[in-house]
Amino acid sequence: MSAPSQKHRQVTNFAIFLGPAILLLFLFFIAPVIVDIGISFTDLGRDLQFHKVTTANFERMVTRDSRLTKTLGITFLYVLGTLAFFNVTFGLILSLATTNVPDKLGAFFRSVWLLPRMSPSVVYALMWIWMIDPTERGLINQVLSFAGIPEFDMMNQAPLMLIILVNGFIGASMGMIIFTSAIRSIPEHLFFAARVDGAGFWSIIWYITLPSIRWPLSFITVYQTLSLMVSFEYIWLITNGGPFYDTTVFALYVYKRAFENGQYAYGAALALILVTLGILASLLMWRFMDMKRMLQDPRIEVH
Amino acid sequence: MKFLKKLSILVSTVFLTGSFFAVSPVMADTVEVNLWSRADRSGPLRPGNIVAAADLLNKQYKAAGVDKTITVKIHENNAKGFDADALDLFKAFAAGKGPDLYVAAHEWIGALAESGYAMNLEEHINAYPEYYSDIIPTLWGSALYKGERHAVPQDSEIRMFFYRKDMLRKIGKSEDFVNSLPDKVNAGEFTMMDLSKLAKEVVDAGVAEYGIIHRPNVGPDFLMAMASFGFEPMDQASGKLKASKKALMGFLSWIDWNASNGVTPRNNTSFSWDTVNHLLPEGKAFIKHHGVWDVGRQIKFGVSEDSEAAYTKNVGWLNSPPAEKGGTPKNLSHPIVYAVNPKSSKKELAALLIAIASQPYFNTKHAIGSNHTAINYGQESMPDYQKAWPLRMGTPMLKYTTIMPNHPDIGQFNQIIYKGIQGVETDRLKVDEAVSFVLEELEGELGDKVMIVD
Repeated sequence: MSAPSQKHRQVTNFAIFLGPAILLLFLFFIAPVIVDIGISFTDLGRDLQFHKVTTANFERMVTRDSRLTKTLGITFLYVLGTLAFFNVTFGLILSLATTNVPDKLGAFFRSVWLLPRMSPSVVYALMWIWMIDPTERGLINQVLSFAGIPEFDMMNQAPLMLIILVNGFIGASMGMIIFTSAIRSIPEHLFFAARVDGAGFWSIIWYITLPSIRWPLSFITVYQTLSLMVSFEYIWLITNGGPFYDTTVFALYVYKRAFENGQYAYGAALALILVTLGILASLLMWRFMDMKRMLQDPRIEVH
Repeated sequence: MKFLKKLSILVSTVFLTGSFFAVSPVMADTVEVNLWSRADRSGPLRPGNIVAAADLLNKQYKAAGVDKTITVKIHENNAKGFDADALDLFKAFAAGKGPDLYVAAHEWIGALAESGYAMNLEEHINAYPEYYSDIIPTLWGSALYKGERHAVPQDSEIRMFFYRKDMLRKIGKSEDFVNSLPDKVNAGEFTMMDLSKLAKEVVDAGVAEYGIIHRPNVGPDFLMAMASFGFEPMDQASGKLKASKKALMGFLSWIDWNASNGVTPRNNTSFSWDTVNHLLPEGKAFIKHHGVWDVGRQIKFGVSEDSEAAYTKNVGWLNSPPAEKGGTPKNLSHPIVYAVNPKSSKKELAALLIAIASQPYFNTKHAIGSNHTAINYGQESMPDYQKAWPLRMGTPMLKYTTIMPNHPDIGQFNQIIYKGIQGVETDRLKVDEAVSFVLEELEGELGDKVMIVD
């Protein structure tokens, strides 16, 4: 094949195989960020009209926005808490538990844990609202009252715990599925050999299972961190960021500023913080979890 | 020559046929008017009355032999509330798809007029005194932007403190005391703190679990109670929003007293609407701060039999009492309004439809169907309105009504104040911290659009 036609073939292959992905990446990831940067330097308000180019949004962010740092703090606790207790740890516990019981029973429990993910968001949120109602109309308080325990107002007394629970019960199922699939991919002879050598349940988990699923663990941690940083759907539906600002995570704060008050330009400027934090978190985790190695070869099979 | 004659006949035929088809849409003469209205099951006649007005005009055209038909195309916007609906309306206007006329919450008229989306209706209103001269004057305040009317009030309402008379009887209050409370409030003899202390008596006696409950989210009710403490949210001279430190301190101290003394539950803002709506009728709350449209629901949830005599035996209505003896009580009306797009080619017709839809016959149908009070004095004497006893009872309270200012940023102003209320009530902020929080947030968020006074 002559050099020009080979070159032509390379270009065609590039366009066919990578073109759609690059186009989608540009349209849905890069272009929105460029538009966001553009809007953040304007005064776009509720009338959706540009009047001037300005840095006033950034000035306001730095000098006058008293809630900004507090919402960032709440976001940090929310992401850390949901990851640590549910999306990674509890997902792992569920996968370990359901792979160590008979297959049918394991499949049944995994299906049960997938139910919240399959329910429409609003239905799931309405169920929580009913469950945590601070009066005796709420399910939790009905149970507590039956047990002779005083009423508990979770939204008011433990709001952060509430949003961690709400998101955790949904988020754990993703880790559970990925970890279950990873555990199933571990060659069985390793478990047999370990048992022959006299390893117990915990030793097998510690020395065989966990090292073998290191990469899925890293992936879930990175993916869920980024996902939790920008998610606020259930918080918005259940607490609407309250009481006071106790559950206003940063993504919700940006949404409220932009869409509930019609301050689109200021919302765009705030959203840039979220974009920057997302990129920083990705790079840091890429570095510390050695994600580059994960993407090189399949890492689940033991050669 | 013969050829030329044939040609001229052919050309004339083609021309006439073409003209016929060209003018045929005009001959049908259907004028379509686009109406924007929030999809709201509780008030279907807000758009419905505009359609009825068009029908009336069509009948009149027919009687006069005018070959013209007006059709109303309704865009029912599925927004969560009137604020979200207004923001969607702005988007429609910005995209060049604004309606000819629309229904909106009155406080948005300032913002809509400022952006050139609400027509100045002074000339129209003055041109049709036959249609507009009976409208209750205080309601026009809801239509003002820079002192001129840019909308027409579509309905009115009365907000109030509902109190359970039967609970007062249970704690030993005399029949005279129970029934004379509204008059004492109106005479300035019974204050906000007296109300709180009375509610505490009821709670302490174990007759009700809660003394005073309020809405669980941001809304106009709070401005009504704040008005009792002298809080005026707008400086009429400068047109700026206004926050008085002293009035805010007085109001938040009252909120704090109620929460600290078990009168209002600390978690009132965590309650669902469903819970809030059941507490008074089910005998768990002594007072509920809400509006006249709630009466039907109270009866449905069992507060009394569905009759005026049974209801008024059990429940009384209070204006917001003054903060100090000798003061004036307050009330708050939150009218929905009709407005016209000034850029519409059918703006005159749109305004005329509003004028007709605002007449007593049409408005009374909406008032009765949605439990809102009248916009015309004349409606009060209509038999149907007289039969709707909650409306008849509520209309005299309009005397004390105030209306939220039509400032573009009133929504944000209310949200900040609500956070301050929530901060105090849930014990997350002390009163002075909450006052500082509200004032700092107002200054930070609204800059020179708000003036802070002592």
